[in-house]
Amino acid sequence: MIDVERTDFVSVIVRDLERAKTFYGETLGIRPNTKAHASYPEFETGNLTISLRAEADHFTPSRTAIALRVPDVDAARTKLESVGVAFAGETFDTGVCHVAFFGDPDGNALMLHNRYALVGG
Amino acid sequence: MRWSGADVQIEKTDFVAIPSQDAERAAAFYGETLGLRSDEHSQYEFWAGDICLGIWEPAKMGMEFQPSKNGHVAFHVPDVAAAREELEGKGVTFNGETFDTGVCHMALFEDPDGNDLMLHNRYAPYSGDSAA
Repeated sequence: MIDVERTDFVSVIVRDLERAKTFYGETLGIRPNTKAHASYPEFETGNLTISLRAEADHFTPSRTAIALRVPDVDAARTKLESVGVAFAGETFDTGVCHVAFFGDPDGNALMLHNRYALVGG
Repeated sequence: MRWSGADVQIEKTDFVAIPSQDAERAAAFYGETLGLRSDEHSQYEFWAGDICLGIWEPAKMGMEFQPSKNGHVAFHVPDVAAAREELEGKGVTFNGETFDTGVCHMALFEDPDGNDLMLHNRYAPYSGDSAA
């Protein structure tokens, strides 16, 4: 076996690095990794590093949606919409969790998520 | 009132969603070909360390499937070259040569749905850290 030990990061390609840094770091409030290379800024969600890099040509948005846990999806969505973040569709209640789909300024897929049902229940 | 991103209260990443046109085929890939630990409650969820990858079929939710040619999930392996050789032997598609960035090795590949993935191993310590 290849011995996958862990997930080191998810690499998210963006078209405008400064705009993305502002979005992840300030709009979403995700802690930046101060040791990351300037051209590859990283944001620490706690258990996953989001690594950004810029590519202007041949850009296509990520559909590997990162589900970010918040204590209250509706409250977080309302706050983000108040500063212009666009969400796709209504917040879903799947019966075990709430999920709201949105994207970064380049359309890379993100979600606000909160599971309220016990796992296995 | 001044905006504070801290008010969004993002606590962690609950999972990363992997879009697929064939969840069974994807589950076999992540579980058997890559050897990821399967979640005890779902046959379509796999763990790589602390991260859960959740396979889903957009078409079953009335949405269009498109592969993710971005958002590479970087799997840490002890030896990128050896892991690449093993996966290529199993027919996995790699894109380009493995590259050495000067601090890490990276090899880009795809799952059966064409979603971009990566084998990764950082061998250099972050500046300011002592070498392990």
